[in-house]
Amino acid sequence: MTPTTDRGRDLPAPPDRWRRLLGEDGIQKWVFYIPVVFFILFFAAPMALTVVWSVFERTQFWMEPGFTLFAYENFFTSARAENYVLSMLHAAAAVVISFVIGFPIAVFIRRRVTRAAQHRVILLFILPFMISELVRVFAMRPVLGRNGVVNSVLMELGILSEPITVILYSPLGVIIGDVMSFLPFMIFAGFLALEAVQNYIFEVCDDLGTGRVRLFADIVLPLAAPGIFAGSVFIFVNSMGVALVPTLLGGPGAVNAGLIANQAIVALDFPLAMAISTIMIFTLVLLLYIGHRLFDLTKILEPIS
Amino acid sequence: MYDDFANPWTIRLKWAYLLAVVFALLMPVFYTIGISFNLHGFGARIYEFTFEWYRVVLGDTLLVISLKWTLYLALATIAATIPMALLSAKFYKRTRRKVAFVALMLSPLFVPADIMGSSLLVFFKNLAKGFAWLGQTLGVGWFDGWFDLGFLTAVIGQIIYTHPYAFIVILITMSRYRVQQTEAARACGANAWQAFWDVEFPQIRVGVFSSCAFVTILSFNEAVRTALLKGGFDTFSNMLVAQMLNIGMSGESYAMAGIMSIVSMIVIGTVIVYTLVRAERLERRARAMAEPVMSD
Repeated sequence: MTPTTDRGRDLPAPPDRWRRLLGEDGIQKWVFYIPVVFFILFFAAPMALTVVWSVFERTQFWMEPGFTLFAYENFFTSARAENYVLSMLHAAAAVVISFVIGFPIAVFIRRRVTRAAQHRVILLFILPFMISELVRVFAMRPVLGRNGVVNSVLMELGILSEPITVILYSPLGVIIGDVMSFLPFMIFAGFLALEAVQNYIFEVCDDLGTGRVRLFADIVLPLAAPGIFAGSVFIFVNSMGVALVPTLLGGPGAVNAGLIANQAIVALDFPLAMAISTIMIFTLVLLLYIGHRLFDLTKILEPIS
Repeated sequence: MYDDFANPWTIRLKWAYLLAVVFALLMPVFYTIGISFNLHGFGARIYEFTFEWYRVVLGDTLLVISLKWTLYLALATIAATIPMALLSAKFYKRTRRKVAFVALMLSPLFVPADIMGSSLLVFFKNLAKGFAWLGQTLGVGWFDGWFDLGFLTAVIGQIIYTHPYAFIVILITMSRYRVQQTEAARACGANAWQAFWDVEFPQIRVGVFSSCAFVTILSFNEAVRTALLKGGFDTFSNMLVAQMLNIGMSGESYAMAGIMSIVSMIVIGTVIVYTLVRAERLERRARAMAEPVMSD
């Protein structure tokens, strides 16, 4: 509508370019794109460029543009590939254990705790999750060690005659460390996915007398699949990629993908580090793509959309 | 049909299991804190309470400097991350390409620290070389030192790490906000900023402050990305890693781990208690409003 005076005369539109520029159709509109630009520039671009840098040629202290698959050859023909597969197996074990321990908790909170108290119970798991992973992993040493809490208690109770050493500085120690580090995420993701499931679904099942196993396998599991999958991928990828756990709990020879990449950086073999990162990112993207196709991962965000 | 509540022991057993898992997750941390107050350290038969290890840590100039750097880094990360997370949450609400946007914003959660740190390290080194080359080509010195590893690159690394958490927390708080209130404010003549600041922000303030607390803790605890991107200074967690790897499990290491745990617990504990108290207050108010007014 054209602005008019009291007398009904048309007024010329104010030629205030600055106001338009700073207004809602100007800068204010574009301000919302800052996070997108930032993440494309400093996250997506570096991740994508790892593929390019992985085929560069290694120099003494850096790398130079070129095309060589030497880094990949170096990776696949050495013990690194074997270690990578081994760390995948350890990560898979951590996922399974986290699911077995954590998912029933998510189901219990969602189904048996009153609506008002559900988020308060979830807060109980926020506290351990927010304490530094470094400290939590470090804290496992005096607990799992030869003279640690576990051995002391078990020997005190007469269950063990001598300390068990297999739980620290071993593959089992790494799996325990991964589970202790990432377990809360399985509970959060499972709970978030179950929040989208309406209560009447459970009530209908109860009314029909559905058994526990069938309810779990046919109702809970399919409906919570996106959350379970997201939680599993998070645990799997981080178990494979966080070097801290094998460094502190794995003992000599224990490695994972993150540690291999770290060692390559220390050895100034940047193309190799980038090749490992590429393989890791490819694994992650593949898993997320498969998960999204199978379970539609956007469903997890439905409760907060 | 089955009913958990038919047998009270079933429900008690489930609660016991839940609390046992919380205990198992927290016990190692409390045990470490306990050791940090023992004069004789880990494995000693005698427990003699002392603040000695903390005194040693806080008397070490290098460690105090690293604490200062950690604080600066946390402040810079908060200053950048929180407004960005707010913008992201607002953008998520209005964009039609929600899947692509949320994939971009949450992907950093799924990239392990070492992998992200390595990629950013090489990226920044290349960027710094690119800017140096540009400066040389143009014959100007303006571009010297841009994106050299240092405080700025460490902050960028931390923003990428902490942003998804802040984004989720703010998004959860925003999900309870009715957009019609903004429309009403606009209809009453408020501009976009007034509608946000006077109407929306007071309702999402708790989420914003909670995400500030989360970002502080995440930044304080972060070690791997910062170690790769920080350049010439050290943060407290970097010093702890170095201590653990080079010296081992000394009394000092336990005291450093204790400081990190206690700071995290105080900050998160405050947020949790505040959230619970506020929820209780809102519930009480809602109940009071729902009660019918009785006439005398």
